Amino acid sequence: MQEAIVRFKSRFWPDHLLGEILSKRWTETAIPVIVLLIVGFALSRSIDGFLSPVALADQARQAGEIGFIVLGLSLVVIVGGIDLSVGSMFALCDFCALFCLNILGLPIPIVIIATIACGALLGAVNGLLIGYMRLRAFITTLITLIIYRSAYDLLLVDYSNRIAASFPDFPAWNFIGGGDVLGVPSVAVAYIVVAIFGHLFLTRLRPGWHITAIGGSRRSAYNSGIAVRRTIALCYVASGALTAIGALFFAARLGTVGGDVGIGLEVTVLTAVVLGGISLGGGKGSVAKALVGTLIVLLVTNGLTTLSVRGGFQRMTLAAILLVAAIIDIRWLKNRMRIISKVYVTPAYNFLPPPPPTEIGAGGPFEQNDKLRDVSLIGLGRIEAPEDVILDRHDNLYAGSRHGDIIRFFAPDYEKMEVFAHIGGQPLGMAFDKHDNLYCCIGGMGLYRISPDRKVEKATDETNRSLLSVNDDSRLRLADDLDIAPDGRIFFSEATTRYEMHEWPVEGHEARGNGRIVCYDPNKGTTRTVLRGLKFPNGICVASDGQSILFAETFRCSVSRYWFDGPKAGKVEMVLDNLPGYPDNINLASDGNYWLAIVGMRCPALDLAWRMPGFRNRMAKRLPLDEWLFPNINTGCVVKFNEKGEILESFWDLHGANHPMITSMREHRGHLYLGGIANNRIGRYKLANADPDFVQYDKRWGRA
Amino acid sequence: MIAALRRAVDGLLGRGESSITVPPFDGALQPNQLLEHAELVAELPDGEDIATDGAQIYVADGAAIRRLDGATLIDVRRFDRMITAFCLLPNGGLAVALEGAEVRVFASIEGADDGKSFTGPSMTAVNALAAGSSGAVLATDGSQAEPYARWAHDLMNRGASGRLLSLDVENGGVNVVASGLRYAFGAIPFDDEVLVSESWRHRIVAIAPSGFVRPVFTDLPVYPSRISKAAGGGYWLTCFTGRTQLVEFVLRENAYRKRMMAEIAPEHWIVPRLRSGKSFKEPMQGAHLKTMGVVKPWAPPRSYGLVIRLSEAGLPQYSVHSRVDGENHGIVAAVEADDNLYVMAKGPGRLLRLPLAKVREELGQ
Repeated sequence: MQEAIVRFKSRFWPDHLLGEILSKRWTETAIPVIVLLIVGFALSRSIDGFLSPVALADQARQAGEIGFIVLGLSLVVIVGGIDLSVGSMFALCDFCALFCLNILGLPIPIVIIATIACGALLGAVNGLLIGYMRLRAFITTLITLIIYRSAYDLLLVDYSNRIAASFPDFPAWNFIGGGDVLGVPSVAVAYIVVAIFGHLFLTRLRPGWHITAIGGSRRSAYNSGIAVRRTIALCYVASGALTAIGALFFAARLGTVGGDVGIGLEVTVLTAVVLGGISLGGGKGSVAKALVGTLIVLLVTNGLTTLSVRGGFQRMTLAAILLVAAIIDIRWLKNRMRIISKVYVTPAYNFLPPPPPTEIGAGGPFEQNDKLRDVSLIGLGRIEAPEDVILDRHDNLYAGSRHGDIIRFFAPDYEKMEVFAHIGGQPLGMAFDKHDNLYCCIGGMGLYRISPDRKVEKATDETNRSLLSVNDDSRLRLADDLDIAPDGRIFFSEATTRYEMHEWPVEGHEARGNGRIVCYDPNKGTTRTVLRGLKFPNGICVASDGQSILFAETFRCSVSRYWFDGPKAGKVEMVLDNLPGYPDNINLASDGNYWLAIVGMRCPALDLAWRMPGFRNRMAKRLPLDEWLFPNINTGCVVKFNEKGEILESFWDLHGANHPMITSMREHRGHLYLGGIANNRIGRYKLANADPDFVQYDKRWGRA
Repeated sequence: MIAALRRAVDGLLGRGESSITVPPFDGALQPNQLLEHAELVAELPDGEDIATDGAQIYVADGAAIRRLDGATLIDVRRFDRMITAFCLLPNGGLAVALEGAEVRVFASIEGADDGKSFTGPSMTAVNALAAGSSGAVLATDGSQAEPYARWAHDLMNRGASGRLLSLDVENGGVNVVASGLRYAFGAIPFDDEVLVSESWRHRIVAIAPSGFVRPVFTDLPVYPSRISKAAGGGYWLTCFTGRTQLVEFVLRENAYRKRMMAEIAPEHWIVPRLRSGKSFKEPMQGAHLKTMGVVKPWAPPRSYGLVIRLSEAGLPQYSVHSRVDGENHGIVAAVEADDNLYVMAKGPGRLLRLPLAKVREELGQ
């Protein structure tokens, strides 16, 4: 009963999605967005007309002005600095704009240019000191905050009356201050344009990437040849210029130079930046976050104003929000990866009936023997990790190595070896096509083709993305084994879409159907997923009818058959069920039956653990990987089976001292060649009663 | 109340008492392969215990006490049941534990008499004997719930019914010195107290005649077993198997532990063993994966071989090991004679000899 609940929950409760969602970068923006929606909803409920068009237009106007400053500060924070002087710069730029217009009487375009230049210049002072002189950002901008504010106060004494006395009336100036385009305030339009450019700049353009890189790691950025000092300085210049744009709109809207202009602005802006999720540590941030942060701050301040909360309390509220946001920022940054690593691994229920006996004397097709004890060894200590082996019609032997090479051993004695092709990833399953191209699955890279003249080409490394998966499963993570259909289509397995190749034990620990079978059509150049939800699909072999494949599911301990053509197209049927071990590669035998490598044997402790996901979940959290209960792949065997699902023969090595692990086997001219992914050797076993002329792919392509 | 709450939270989050830590082999326990390379004296598939009078080596092999004579073993006494422990007495006598349920004390080592029998109170798993002070015989009764051969069941049931007994040979009484020990396995007089191995708590304790238990050497990375006197003062402590985080974890996982005990054969449990690697049905841990044909010696031990030299204060000085990739595991007894250390490795069933001069030289002692 309890087990039925566990099985039900494991099948229908998608707990594996939590880790996948948290690993998405957009979750960092999602949290501020949710906060924004909550704040907006709460305020619209408590204040009448909060979301009316008029109120919204007014909000947008203010949001635009502050928004520019937030964008500037965001840049500075992303590059790893801080700019406290934005409030004072804002005031000075406001003064500059009105001074140029009201006193000097300059034309509007000149006023705009002069104001932005003024802001850029003020920012450049910060940039020079922090970027080139390498002063501390905090203390430097604190000093410029005081200096700029003092300058503003001095200028105010001399000019405030003269500015206040004149009332310039230009349509263009009024449009900047209060105009709109199709009901959208001019400042909001300008902000949208700048924000879109800012987004493209940060995510698509080289300087934007440089800024993020410097914020992420200044030293690494420097070592990568990025002009760190110049980029930092330019960020402060940009901050000044953007502040100036905000000030320009402010000046046009209100036209005043009061003593309180820009006071406390840095706190508001900083709150917006942090609330949006732009990390104070640098290296993380986006325009969307800046926008969301701006809106939250604005809604809160305006909401509080409408609710007639006194100014002191407003500031206090903002400061409190800033504090909370800063704490969350620090804790989240520190613990995000830890949380993900805790929740990403989510074991599922995986029931297997008691296995058939293997003990000597117990009888049955799996009864152990010592036939493989005396296999002769090829390349001992000279090859590492030959997962699969294959032979050409000249009897040369090909095998992958963990250095990313395909090694060729020369017939007849396999003493001489060479690097046939260097690919760069771990080669796994291999097959020859009609034209003697060697197709090879490469862990972490995809499906590759090596022509007879050793040219390495990528066949495919992505398939169609599933509609409902959270993880992007278009990229191939662990292409494992393949075979080629008569018309040239290549069917290959991808063992898991949730983990990388070296994390296969985690996939086994999870034992959920995360794998799939993918079809690559070299004639059309297309790649499509044909079967999903398989438990570590591994070996693949085209069946005798040429319309179906046999495929092994390692952690379901089964071999199934899938029809891709013919009257049964699309159907899947079980061929071998409840194997005593974990099936790996499948290949054709000379007598028309099939070889199956059983890479490891089941143990009762793990079979039980597979029925208890909660136990495995805690194991994954509390024990290091080296201490986990693993599928035992130190001992394995080779069996021969037919399409009816009968085991005909098994080949064992009782002690596993000579050839410890078997992930694949290939019959060739009366011998069986054995590969093992954790081995440093290839095994060769003389078969009794085998066709001495059998060459697998010559037979397949009708050359024999 | 708060403590109970904290324990519940700890259990949920795997902190505090529920955190799973095993101390590393470090300091005096730094690994070597001296025990793995020890000289083989005899293959004894049923070997259980060793004792010496300083000149002769006696072993308990199945149901017989045998004397080592050159390269051969000669029977000196034979019983109808398996011997679980024995010791030589200072007066030339002999004490033997049979099936853990009975102790017989003889006046001489050789002979055909039946000796003096002790069975009460409810001896179940007497697994070590030692000559105590003033003519008494000390015995550790590992568990009152499980017989000696089923020690793994006692561990998995979180057994805490071990006792230290003192047998009064003159008057025939048995005195329970201490009870409630989490598997007592090995005892030796320690001034007025008795040094006892408390296996499931991975520690050596000193027990006073009043029954007061004082920890001496704690937080061992192994499960300690019998203790014998070393020639130059101090003791030899054997350890019959090693600890792993996986076993510690399973001990905290009640549901899995109960199902495992109910549904799986004991030899395939997740539990420490005297020998390992004999069947692919034994649980395998990540580090046990053979890579390039090699098993890492520092992988978590399902079985392990270790003898620790203790000082007169009961603290470790140096140790000899047979690591995870070795064979000489499941060390249950070690005695020193003639500057040689004789070791009973119950895992492979071997009597081993280790020249101590060589050990001291290799370890710089």
